[in-house]
Order: sequence, then structure tokens, then C-alpha cells
Amino acid sequence: MALRASVQRVSRTLPRLMAQAGAARGMATEKQIFNQIQSTKNIKKITSSMKMVSAAKLKGDETRLELAKPFNEWTNALCGKPVHLDDLENITYEELPQKTLIVPITSDKGLCGGVNSFISRSVRDAIGKINAQGKECDVVIIGDKGRSQMSRSFPEKILRTATDIQAPGNFNLAAALSAELTAAGAMNYDAVMIVYNSYVNAAVYHQYYKVIKPMAVEGEGESMVEYEFEPDVKSEIMGDLYEYMLTSQIYYCFMDGAAAEQSSRMTAMENASKNAGEMIDTLTLQYNRARQARITTELIEIISGASALEG
Amino acid sequence: MMQRALLRRFTPSLRRTFSTVEESAAAGMTLNFNLPHESIYVGAKVDQVIVPGVAGEYGVTADHVPLVAQLKPGVLQILHQGTAEAEKYFVAGGFSITHPNSTTDISCPEAVKIDDIDSASVTAAFEAAKSAFSSAEAGSQAAAEAQIDMEVNKAMAFAVGVSLA
Repeated sequence: MALRASVQRVSRTLPRLMAQAGAARGMATEKQIFNQIQSTKNIKKITSSMKMVSAAKLKGDETRLELAKPFNEWTNALCGKPVHLDDLENITYEELPQKTLIVPITSDKGLCGGVNSFISRSVRDAIGKINAQGKECDVVIIGDKGRSQMSRSFPEKILRTATDIQAPGNFNLAAALSAELTAAGAMNYDAVMIVYNSYVNAAVYHQYYKVIKPMAVEGEGESMVEYEFEPDVKSEIMGDLYEYMLTSQIYYCFMDGAAAEQSSRMTAMENASKNAGEMIDTLTLQYNRARQARITTELIEIISGASALEG
Repeated sequence: MMQRALLRRFTPSLRRTFSTVEESAAAGMTLNFNLPHESIYVGAKVDQVIVPGVAGEYGVTADHVPLVAQLKPGVLQILHQGTAEAEKYFVAGGFSITHPNSTTDISCPEAVKIDDIDSASVTAAFEAAKSAFSSAEAGSQAAAEAQIDMEVNKAMAFAVGVSLA
């Protein structure tokens, strides 16, 4: 009788002791693995819903970009061609004048893959090369993520940051941004260089930079020589045209960057969901093994307890 | 006989010059009229465009002199090929660039068809802008914005045939 009671007591406490021993040895217990599986499943649900939201937003951004392209077409003849930043080592930035204002376009929200890191890296590389050539440059950052990444590397060069931008962008936003640039002194620089991501398709985006120079009104290198101007004062209208051109370019580059950001977020969330799924599979196997070990242990005690009683 | 042969050799070239003049006039000009959120015309072949420049309205046809003009709020008229009635848009500003190859780029932040303008809301907006202008202190940003508001609404009203003061 006393023996049965003591066996029963042992059979009740043994699994707990075994589990504690297992945890002490660094093996996760069945309960812990179960909790881990549940939290990973929740994360997978969140990332896959974020992916679907991004896919929907990408459609809208793609349409807006398609409309911005013909709107911005006329500026291509008056501005520098966009230069693809594919291999940073081959980009020299030699065509830049003495004073350049760099405007990188980044995102406000995170979880968007590598879009912002690529831009930060390109800007850091550009500043290094520009300073090595004895030229000056300053930075006005668009987007909070860019600010947090670049303020660590070159805080003294950052003039202004534009954050908390209401998505989706429109022309008013571009006008406000170019007003910010003017307030930061954009008209005193020899050129404005916009660094942005360009959307190719849902899987691919590239980094580009565009140089926009105020048009020379007289002397050699005078632009738009064969055109008449109305009103007659060429310098006045060229100043206004430069502002409008800058706004139009910022609008187009911002639309491009927004579409690239959404496509990158979609890819990042898809990868996260896939990884979460794989983790759930591995953990489930571990959980099943732990569960089976526990059941086996219980069976062994019951059987050994019963045989101890008989014998 | 010699004279007839010479005549035959001359007239073909004469005919050729006439046909090229006709071709360029018939080809018309190419119009690119774009807004940030909508492309109204891309590469469209039209006869004439009447543009509201700040210094006055002017018409652009094929082979026009290359011209860069700033636009004031006003009516943009597009005469399509073979039509007498112009298509009218109210533009809020922007730039018009006519290139040497008879292409004109018109870029505006906003433009609407004249038919879409409601004269009642334009009058109301004008009155609101007028009171904002009188209540703002002279020379401030708010006064300038109210003045621009008044001018644009006045031009819009004029486009639909209502004259405001």
C-alpha cells in the first residue's frame, strides 16, 4: 500500500523532474516549443497579410508612376540623364560641379528590404568621392529611414530632413519638397543630385542618380539658345522654369521610389513568411519528438511501477 | 521638241516642291499635354493650340518659332485636325515649350475641361478668397495666397462666362 502510494508519487513527479533536467541541459521543453510554434505562426500571419497589403498598394503606385513618366518627359532634354548606380566602384561623379546638393529619396516606414540601405551606401560613397575631388556637397534627406542611417555617418552634411510624408504622394507634395529645398538654399548650389530607387518590376529595382543644373542664361554653355522667351526677360523665366523642372523631377523620382519601396516590401514579407513556415516545420518536428519522449517516459514508469508491485 | 523636253524636265521638280509644302501643313503639330496625375495628350497630331501665356494668349501651329512660355491661369484651346470647334481646358499655370520640330510640350500642375467647371462653386470660392484677402495683413504669405486664389477663381469664372470683381 505504502509502496503503491510512493510509486504513484514518483510517477507524478518524475516527468516534471525529467523536464526540468531537460531544460537545465539546454533542451527546450515541450511547452516551450509549443509556445514558440504559436508565436511563429502569428508572425507568419502578420507578414503574409503585410505582403498582400503591399501588393495592393504596389498596383496603385505603379499606375501613378506610369502617369508621372509622360508628365516628366519634357525635362529629360534639359537635365542630365539618369545614371545607373550598378557598380559603385565605376562611378566617379566627375561631371559634378563645385557645389552639389544631394537629395536622397528614402522611405519613412521599415520592413522594406534593402531599398534604404542601398541609397545610404550610394550617398556615402558619393560624398567620399566628391570630397576627394576637392568639391563640396551637402545633403537634404527625404524619408525617416534615410535619416537614421545617414545621420550616423555624416551628420554635419545634413541640412534638412523631410519625414512623415503622407502616402500616396501627389504634385502638392513634390511642390512642398522643392519649397523645402529652396529654403535649404538649393538655388545657391551649382547642381542638385537626386539619388533614388527606380522600379523595374515587382522583383527588380535599381538605384539611379540624376543631376539637375540651373540653366546658364548667358555666356558659353547658355542653354536653350534657339528658343524665344515669353515674357522677354530670359533670366526670370529660366529661374521659374528651373523651379518647376526641379518639382517635376522630384515628383517623378518620388513616385519611382515609392513603387520600388512597395515591391521591395512585398518581396521581404514573402521571404519572411516563407522562413517562418520553414521554422514552424522544424519546430513541429522537435515538438513531436519531445511529446513522444514524454509519453514514452510515462509509459515506462507505469510499467516499471506495476512490475515492482507484482515482483 | 527641245522646248517640250525641257518643260517636261522642269515641271516634275515644281510639282515636288508644292507637295512638300502641303505635307507639312497637313501633318500639323504634335502636342504633348500632361498633368501629374493624367496624360491628356501624348504625341497627338493637332492643327493649332492657343496657349494662355503670362504676356498674352498666342497660337501655335506647325513650324512655329521655338518658344518657352510661362502660363497664367486661363483657357487652353486645342483645335484638332478637321474640326472648327476648339476643345477648351482651364489650366492653372505651368509651362509651354515649343520645339524646333513642331512639337509642343505643355506641362501643368492642374487642368480641367471647361464643361466640368461649376460657376456657383467658383463664385463662392472667389468670395471666400476675397474675404480672406481683406482680413489678412498686407504683405503677408496669407495675403499673397488669397490674392492668387482670387485671380485663379476670377479667370475660371471668366472662362465659363461669369465676370467677377
